Amino acid sequence: MRRLAIPGALVAAIVLVALAAPILGLPDPVQQDIAQRLSGPTAGSPLGRDEFGRDVLSRLIWGARASLTVAFASAAIACALGTLLGLLGGWFRGLGELLALRSMDIVLCFPPILLALLVVTLLGPGSGTLILVLAILFLPGFVRVTYAEVLSARSHDYVEAVRALGAGPLRILIVTVLPNVAGPILVQLSLAVAAAVVLESGLSFLGLGVVPPEPSWGLMIRGARATMAQAPLLLLWPCAVLTFTILAMNLLCDALRDWVDPRTASAVRLRAIDRVLPGLLPPARADAVLQVDRLTVEIDTPAGVIRPVDDVSFAVRAGETVAIVGESGSGKSLTAASVMGLLPPAARIAQGAALLDGTDLLRLDEAALRRLRGGAMAMVFQDPMSSLNPVHRTGDQVAEAILAHRPMPRAAARREAVGLFRRVGIADPERRANAFPHEMSGGMRQRVMIAMAIANNPRLLIADEPTTALDVTVQAQILDLLADLRRETGMALVFITHNLGVVAEIADRVVVMYAGQVVEQGETEAVFARPLHPYTRALLAAVPEGDEKPAGIPGVVPPPHALPPGCRFAPRCPHAAPACEAAAPSLESYDGRLVRCVRVAAWLRETASA
Amino acid sequence: MLVWTVRRILVSLVLIWIVATVIFTVIHLVPGDPAELLLSSGGMAPDPAAVAELRERLGLDRPFLEQYGAFLSGLLRGDLGASMIDEYPVIDEVLLRLPRTLELIAAGAILAVLIGIPVGTQAALRRGTVFDRATSATAALLLAVPIFVVGTLLVLVFAQWLRWMPAGGYVPLAQDPWQHLTLLTMPALAVAKGLVAVVFRMTRAAVLDSLSRDFVRTARAKGLSPSRILVHHVVRNAIIPVLTVLALHMGTLLGGTVLVEYVFNWPGMSTPLLKAVEARDYPMVVGIVLTISVLFVALNLVMDLVYAALDPRIRHA
Repeated sequence: MRRLAIPGALVAAIVLVALAAPILGLPDPVQQDIAQRLSGPTAGSPLGRDEFGRDVLSRLIWGARASLTVAFASAAIACALGTLLGLLGGWFRGLGELLALRSMDIVLCFPPILLALLVVTLLGPGSGTLILVLAILFLPGFVRVTYAEVLSARSHDYVEAVRALGAGPLRILIVTVLPNVAGPILVQLSLAVAAAVVLESGLSFLGLGVVPPEPSWGLMIRGARATMAQAPLLLLWPCAVLTFTILAMNLLCDALRDWVDPRTASAVRLRAIDRVLPGLLPPARADAVLQVDRLTVEIDTPAGVIRPVDDVSFAVRAGETVAIVGESGSGKSLTAASVMGLLPPAARIAQGAALLDGTDLLRLDEAALRRLRGGAMAMVFQDPMSSLNPVHRTGDQVAEAILAHRPMPRAAARREAVGLFRRVGIADPERRANAFPHEMSGGMRQRVMIAMAIANNPRLLIADEPTTALDVTVQAQILDLLADLRRETGMALVFITHNLGVVAEIADRVVVMYAGQVVEQGETEAVFARPLHPYTRALLAAVPEGDEKPAGIPGVVPPPHALPPGCRFAPRCPHAAPACEAAAPSLESYDGRLVRCVRVAAWLRETASA
Repeated sequence: MLVWTVRRILVSLVLIWIVATVIFTVIHLVPGDPAELLLSSGGMAPDPAAVAELRERLGLDRPFLEQYGAFLSGLLRGDLGASMIDEYPVIDEVLLRLPRTLELIAAGAILAVLIGIPVGTQAALRRGTVFDRATSATAALLLAVPIFVVGTLLVLVFAQWLRWMPAGGYVPLAQDPWQHLTLLTMPALAVAKGLVAVVFRMTRAAVLDSLSRDFVRTARAKGLSPSRILVHHVVRNAIIPVLTVLALHMGTLLGGTVLVEYVFNWPGMSTPLLKAVEARDYPMVVGIVLTISVLFVALNLVMDLVYAALDPRIRHA
């Protein structure tokens, strides 16, 4: 709303001055005085006089009146008529739709100025002709906007409901549709007024618009061209006023559009990534391909600093699969993004380390990270459709990954890509490598993504919900493929998912995350056989099994800026005790596993005695 | 793809036929007899015998449908009729002057692409910085200055004050290439001013949109260099909407150059058009408007085909 204020005030001021022209005590704008032609500023006329000795200031202000009258009149006519046509066309469909829309297509076949010239030829120049021409030119915009809005409104439930209640079409149009189209039409109206000022001045400049001696900015510029050597200011004044008016109107249009459609408004301000050096690090586990230590990610938000990933540690050995499990908002994807160096710009690493074969990824510069990404470590994403570039052939996209790390002739990379297609189980790989992403099924696209990821024999593959967007049968195939590849290559696999069923199938070990923290970590079989953390138990109970109705977890993950003081799961936990809310529990080793729960010992005693 | 192309071409042909018919019908529906208008001067009623003779010569005395038939068959043979004033064939006038108008538009479009796309990309990459704000503000200003104001001011500054180049005019390329290009500079700049702003804005928005896409993350995950990601993935995807908008505006320029040609005395289509409008020389107006509208439709067709080449998804839509 505030963005509307300044341009709105400017446009209002211009309109007010134009309206007030008769009462400002200005000299007659058409009164000639040849004796004073081209005279500079005098007491009676602060901006001087033009080539016929007419007062320039007076002509500027009366010219605004002429411009704005034409602009508003034509925009208003186009708005009224166009909205009506759009409403009728959108509501009654059929013949009305055909006539309303197709006739507009014909108008759009003419470049605007040409259409104007055509009409001027037929009707002769003058303000009336101008208004008619401009109204015709702007009509299609209003018809289309209204038509589109009516079509979308028709399908809304509330319109259906009103129709079902037996309301007549006119009533429905007025009561339900008009308020919805008001915003876009207002924007269209402001655009039309601004465009009308441009076209009116242009036609008048050509001598085909406003008829002399009536004042108009376009005519003033036309007249001043002849005397630009002696009196350049005569030219500059109308140019400046005209440009200023259009600029103010354009700004108002932009502000209106942002106001009506907030999606286009400017997004959050970005800030550069700054990394804080991590503190002293514990020695790396010798056999771990990836070791993440005390990783903490912070994001500055208007509500303060949040920690979507808080003190997360885990390790993956060669040939091992570790699953990171949690609901959305648990921080699992951000953890993966930190390792890959693909954090969104607003997020930063606050502390911790991520060692890939002993090298701390979090301390590498972008160039060094780039050599590792797609090389020693690779990633597969959730939605293969949006993750593949729609305009390049899939084979080329895989070859590109090869060429980024191993310079070779294009043809060789292309051949290797076809080989990778075969390896990930794509039938007819030569032909498929020539296909575009949209020509493939979801499962095949994900195979392409996997081919791209394994192109340079990575030591570490991170798969972020790789099967979530796929059909169940395809899911199983992709899981099998990943398991086979891991076995063949001995790469370490980090598998991120919210689906515990998938975990049981693929993972050696599992890391359960909740609200940015690891709450339980251990061998998959042990965790599934006897989950220690109440959240893990709740997740397991939520997996549908046979005919049993899965037990949902009450409540939602707390947002990162409103975490409970003690245990983050306490508000949703069936076993919560006062101790849980007193202090944040730490991650304790228990029975070969890590658990973050103060009541785990007590709970184990209870279940053992029961 | 072939079926799609053929259908698209057929639709364009039908559109052209409709446009021609609409122009013809409108001209003939308007009250007032062209012959009478042509012969009347200074409020004097023309000699009825002369009017009748002119009507017969122009074929205006024949039935409407017969005239329409003659008009259409003329079109098919590439005959747009002759000027009422000097009986010069319209098609010759069009063929002489159209290339000069197209040259202006092409020069303006090339300037717009060369400036608008790199600057728009930079502005998107440096979103929120001084550079971004300064270029965006400049674009807003360029959009607000009417094309004939820019033209007139260019003349004032470069021809009148600095005296770097003549205020306007035209020399054929074959006659004096250097002078030709000098005279082309200012009109091309005037044509480019709006296009640059439009291309800049669209590029900036499209690059910002592209940057947030998943495939850019994939490209980064592959370990591609920033320049390759930018050119091959970000800009390659952003270019499609930019071209759409450029084509749309080049279309409106087909008429918009009238103002530029007028300001710089560039002997394109506008001089005969304006003369014909003032003199109500119907065949000339119809011929020129029709030619430009056909070009307009053809431009849209060509752009549709270009997108299909650039964006594989469209070919199947």
